[in-house]
Amino acid sequence: MDTALLIIHGLVAVALLGAITHQTIAAWVPSRGRRGSFVGRFRAVTPGSFATAIVVLYSVSALLGAVLYLSFRVQIRPDLERAGHWPALGVFDLKEHFVSIGLAMLPAYWVCWRQQRTDEPSRTPAALTLILAFIVWWSFLIGHVLNNIMGFGR
Amino acid sequence: MTPPPWFRRFAFAFGIAFAALYVVAVKLDLALFTVYPSIRVVLLGTHHSRDYVGPSMGSFMPAMYWYGWTATAALGALIVGIGAAFLPERWSQPFWSGWLWVIPVAAMIGCVYLTLPWFRL
Repeated sequence: MDTALLIIHGLVAVALLGAITHQTIAAWVPSRGRRGSFVGRFRAVTPGSFATAIVVLYSVSALLGAVLYLSFRVQIRPDLERAGHWPALGVFDLKEHFVSIGLAMLPAYWVCWRQQRTDEPSRTPAALTLILAFIVWWSFLIGHVLNNIMGFGR
Repeated sequence: MTPPPWFRRFAFAFGIAFAALYVVAVKLDLALFTVYPSIRVVLLGTHHSRDYVGPSMGSFMPAMYWYGWTATAALGALIVGIGAAFLPERWSQPFWSGWLWVIPVAAMIGCVYLTLPWFRL
């Protein structure tokens, strides 16, 4: 069950990673000239169009992570502690902290992208996207590293 | 769909308040509840093991505080957010939207500081 949940969690995370990376690039380095190349088309999307999908994917991924965290605490973490993987546990704790802060940012993030005012240009939506992108990338990489050190289904 | 002004005020206040309260909850260890996943028990408030004789027993009955810290911050932020939603629109005009990312970044730095002991073990 845990392995199946972990795979679904990973798949949702991959979709989220793609969406947030796409939005971050489009928000910070938008395409202004030729759109013929792959990179040009990647940058040419409307960043606001990703907002709702990112909110849904982030929420689902966080929920699945929160469920898996229970099994992780019982089945895996004690072994990591006994093996002295303290830095790995530290960065995993950071992942949990960052995910919580990111989760609470989602309503404001969604509102910012939904009602961007043309008369009041602001970098706030792009800044929120950048923070969420950092959290998502951090969580994805740290989750993978820990799973590689000592994962489910050993 | 454009969100109504009251939701905008709620969302902004909630995000900022949660980030600030979360660091405080972690620092002061204010978990709304403690989860014991191995025995499937949830206790209200923060509970720490008092078993000084056999600290290794902690591996058999680990306590989890992350859910409780998140719930504490969410409850506090919910109160702040609901309060902000009822504020008149003109009161939110001088609000600098940059606080929306400055406070969460500061909270994340705070979390890094609170996690540093893990790297000194």
